[in-house]
Amino acid sequence: MIFSRRDFIRTAGIAFGAAATLPSWVLDAQAMTAAYLEVNKNALADAALSTAKRLGASYADIRINRYRLEAINSRERQIQNVSSGQNFGFGVRVLINGTWGFAGSPIVTLDEVKRVTTEAAAIAKANASITKKKIELVPTPKVTANWKSSFERDPFDIPTEEKTAWLLKLNEAALSVKGINFVNSQLAFVNEQKFLATSDGSRIDQYIIRTNPSFTATAVGKGDFQSVNSLREPQQIGYEYLSKHDWAAEAKLAAEHAVMKLSAPSVTPGKYDLVLHPSHLFLTIHESVGHPTELDRALLWEANYAGTSFLTPDKTGKLQFGSKMVNFVADRTQPQGMATVGYDDEAVPGQSWHLVKDGVFVDWQTTRDTAKLVGKNKSYGCLHADSWGSVPFPRMPNVSLTPSKDAVTQDDLVAGVDKGILIYGRGSYSIDQQRYNFQFGGQTFWEIKNGKVAGMLRDVAYQSRTTDFWGSLDGLGGQATYEVPGSPNDGKGEPGQSNAVSHGCPPARFRQINVLNTASGTGAGQMMEDHE
Amino acid sequence: MLLTEAEVKALTLKILGMVKADDASASVGSNKQSHLRFAANNVLTSGTRGGRNANVTVWIGGKRGSASTNDLDDANLRAMVDQAEKIASTSPPDREYVPTLSKQTYRPTSGYVEATANLSLADRARQIGAILAEFEKAGVIGAGFHSANSQTGGSATKNGNFDYERSTGVGLSVTARTPDGTSSGYFLRSHHDIAKLDTMRIAREAIRKAVEGKNARAIEPGVYTVVLEPQAVADLLGGFGFGFFNARTADEGRGIFSAPGGKNKLGEKIFDERISIYSDPWNAELPGSQSSQGGIPAQMVKMVENGVLKNLVYNRYWAQQKKVDPTPGPVNTIIESNGPTQTLEQMIASTDRGILVGRFWYIRQTDPRTASSTGLTRDGVWMIENGKIAYPLKNFRFNQSTVKMLAPGNVLAMSKPERVGSSEGGGGSLLPAMKLKEFNFTSQSEAV
Repeated sequence: MIFSRRDFIRTAGIAFGAAATLPSWVLDAQAMTAAYLEVNKNALADAALSTAKRLGASYADIRINRYRLEAINSRERQIQNVSSGQNFGFGVRVLINGTWGFAGSPIVTLDEVKRVTTEAAAIAKANASITKKKIELVPTPKVTANWKSSFERDPFDIPTEEKTAWLLKLNEAALSVKGINFVNSQLAFVNEQKFLATSDGSRIDQYIIRTNPSFTATAVGKGDFQSVNSLREPQQIGYEYLSKHDWAAEAKLAAEHAVMKLSAPSVTPGKYDLVLHPSHLFLTIHESVGHPTELDRALLWEANYAGTSFLTPDKTGKLQFGSKMVNFVADRTQPQGMATVGYDDEAVPGQSWHLVKDGVFVDWQTTRDTAKLVGKNKSYGCLHADSWGSVPFPRMPNVSLTPSKDAVTQDDLVAGVDKGILIYGRGSYSIDQQRYNFQFGGQTFWEIKNGKVAGMLRDVAYQSRTTDFWGSLDGLGGQATYEVPGSPNDGKGEPGQSNAVSHGCPPARFRQINVLNTASGTGAGQMMEDHE
Repeated sequence: MLLTEAEVKALTLKILGMVKADDASASVGSNKQSHLRFAANNVLTSGTRGGRNANVTVWIGGKRGSASTNDLDDANLRAMVDQAEKIASTSPPDREYVPTLSKQTYRPTSGYVEATANLSLADRARQIGAILAEFEKAGVIGAGFHSANSQTGGSATKNGNFDYERSTGVGLSVTARTPDGTSSGYFLRSHHDIAKLDTMRIAREAIRKAVEGKNARAIEPGVYTVVLEPQAVADLLGGFGFGFFNARTADEGRGIFSAPGGKNKLGEKIFDERISIYSDPWNAELPGSQSSQGGIPAQMVKMVENGVLKNLVYNRYWAQQKKVDPTPGPVNTIIESNGPTQTLEQMIASTDRGILVGRFWYIRQTDPRTASSTGLTRDGVWMIENGKIAYPLKNFRFNQSTVKMLAPGNVLAMSKPERVGSSEGGGGSLLPAMKLKEFNFTSQSEAV
């Protein structure tokens, strides 16, 4: 479930029986200094693991993590806020009598580690009495490793004034467009410094950087207003992301499109062929492919919140998920992918594997405590916690759509459409709890007439059913059209946790999809789907 | 683990003592959370965590910087202040700077209950164990989430204000599914007082809905009269608050309450005349914070009265620009009827043909100009015929404008409000069940 990208730095309250919208560590602190808190991680780990063993744990792990966040917000010709912060703490997980117990603390001392481990064990023991089925872990090799994500310039080493100047220049480019009234922009940087020690003997250090520039340009017309957001998404990359693209030119173009949207014709509802740009398609992949292939959902572990899945273990290797051109690969090694890691939060190495092969659903996203339940003897490494204080649980890897082997361009896809719509950017996303029925909007919409892009449209959303939709895919862009967009705020679990994840994809073409008009507030044109 | 008022005061004053800037505010908080999550009739995860944080915002020559940390020793607090001052010194001027508040007087609210803060792990295990047994007895597959939290915190300003408060919360949500996967029921309640949380009632309501929802029929989507249970109302309207009633957004021409010429719709009758929407920090069932918008003493604020938009939310900067007082809220959301109320049962009994909805899910805005959203029903939808619940229905997707939904003539009945939280998040509100003349279901959903 995807939250607004502007929530990347916004503090939110935790609700009962529901999810928070941010990584839990953001709830505790937003932003600060580079002074590293020196602790003897190995000695603390030894204390946690030996205490857990003494208290009867068959497995235990400790994560000692430090998170840094810097965020700068601006609007028009002013910087609204610059904040930086750090959050440091540890979490201990123990498995006793087949039942998990967890406890976490921001006080990183030897005594506190022993106290917290004892507390985690007490929780496991209290709950073991009501456990009906014991948790069993598949094995994973012992490893000692030090892993760093790929980046050229650490954003936390760049002076604030360089960042604020970059944002104000971006805003100026948007404001140079006649008719534009507002521009909001933001830079956010995340650094995760993670240490993991397990009772299997693994000791792993990881250092991860993510960079998230974003903006929104808004034009106000007569009794109307329209906005266009940046089409580029955050990535696991350094400050160099800001110089890899001409962001100011994109902001100007977005502003022009926002003004254009005010007078663009409202879409006529009906069936259209769609060509979906990667800046839009990635979230459709996230919702309709990423989530239903999470094994914990199929096992009903998410039934109370995020939901279950229309995919079930008996459909593995049998269900026709999409057309034969459709291949989805889960990948924790993908460059710039925000879910890319050296190792997951239980020491399983990053790897890649097919979820959908030649259109057929073939495999799941697994962890050490779910793999065995579908007859696997190893995990694909999907365990993740968004904070030292959060319980690690199954989270989505990068799930990416394989491009065509041929050098197909987006224009080639458009050329094959008589009556269609080309969609860019992420808009409104909604999908049911088993991932059948979805309705997605976008940022900009372009009418396709007789194989060519005509004028802009507005008020477009499309509604479909997952397997029908992917079954209608009949065109994919080639490698040169492939991009790796991602979302920093994938919400799941209770208590709610946030995951950063990417979905590489080329543009793709879908035939005869139901398009509705969102302006009327009634979803006019949508009453034509019947899947019973 | 939770910081006392004296500790918070000492820490915030210590931070301010380190500040060299012209103006500053410092805040310090602490919290404790614990949970037990269960699924597939089994315990899934359970844990506790403590947290604390400090934050400082400084202004040097009208330039602003902000920093935070979760390590509260002197060296880290000093590093935090240095960082904020370094940021301020290299930032452009803060054009929206308003001096921090001088000493304010707060009227305390009552959102902290010791028994909630000191929840017993053994008691919780026993209660959830009883619920797991209830699932087995009813022949359903159950899942749920029990969580409790407590927090204390406060802030101080260089101009002499200090504000401290504490609160607690506990909640339980339960989903029950039939083993064949064709029916699902859900129930959620939360409170600040653990004594008011009836855990077995929550489980039994979820189980009842799952059992009664078997053999659901599919009917054509379309415009129907609906009766919305308080949970469904919370899912749709629980997010009413600062964002929805933001004055600046309206004045800038980019909100639902914008009027031409840089004006807004204050004073206009927008909603059905029986609707009142307000915030009350001292409501015994739903205590709010004693301070709003970073320190303004909270007061009761009527946003909508008799269907008329009475207030928008002005922050201190925008209030200064518009020469009005900043809004002392909202700190919670209460929607109630000005006129006579009906019970849910009376609403059903007075309906010839309509749909009863227990919960909505994955609600996302599709058009900010009309406050339109899409989303789906989930975990319990029923056909009402001739004043009775006739049979369960399969789920729908809807596309609906919130404003049109509550417009004059579309609200047929409201119940007395009760405390309920959105199932997608957002905390508790006091909300009624509602009977609406027209609601737009736009496609079927086969999801259970």
